[in-house]
Amino acid sequence: MRIELFYAPGCQKCADARDGLRAAAQEVIPGVIWRELNALDKLDYAIKLGVTTLPTLAIDREVAFSSLPTPRQLREALKRRLTKAV
Amino acid sequence: MPFTIGKIANLAQVSADTLRYYERERLIAPAAKSAGGYRLYERDALRRIRFIKQAQQCGFTLTEIRALLALRGNNSACCRDVRRVALEKKLQLEAKVKAMRVMSKALSHLINECSADNRPLDDCPILASLERANGVKRKSR
Repeated sequence: MRIELFYAPGCQKCADARDGLRAAAQEVIPGVIWRELNALDKLDYAIKLGVTTLPTLAIDREVAFSSLPTPRQLREALKRRLTKAV
Repeated sequence: MPFTIGKIANLAQVSADTLRYYERERLIAPAAKSAGGYRLYERDALRRIRFIKQAQQCGFTLTEIRALLALRGNNSACCRDVRRVALEKKLQLEAKVKAMRVMSKALSHLINECSADNRPLDDCPILASLERANGVKRKSR
């Protein structure tokens, strides 16, 4: 599974939240791919995925959260996906 | 020297009604009112009106413009904050362009399907397709 956090350059709340979110993701899926993408550098990719607000969190190339989730919300979303995949 | 609404509207190339609308939307406000109750504006209102017009042309809604103007007046905000708003707007515009391209492609398909010019309206594949699409929408509600 791949998680991508799209952020605007200089987003302080993204910087503050990312460690907690990454830890939450690793807790549910050890070895999960975690990428942090500056939307300005990855504009075409952000458009392709349908990102319209920043920050946005995409799971497996699908917009999952159009604002920063809490670590708990992310854990629950990942668990739901894992259950679906089984 | 303050400007009347007609004068400043003329300088900014908008109508007086537009300025009253901007006022209702809390985008601008007259600096004062004359003894007769007429709105009076300072020169900086001209800059503000031009800013609003330009932002509208870039696709910003009046609500977003209000937020941009608030940022402009916020001493603790910086260019980075405005850039984030602009970046989000670009992403939204690109999403719209993408959706419109899909619509355009669908229309091309319909246009190609309708090859017979003199077919009766009841057999028009374009109308039939639009009606079908409408029916699907209604069902999904």
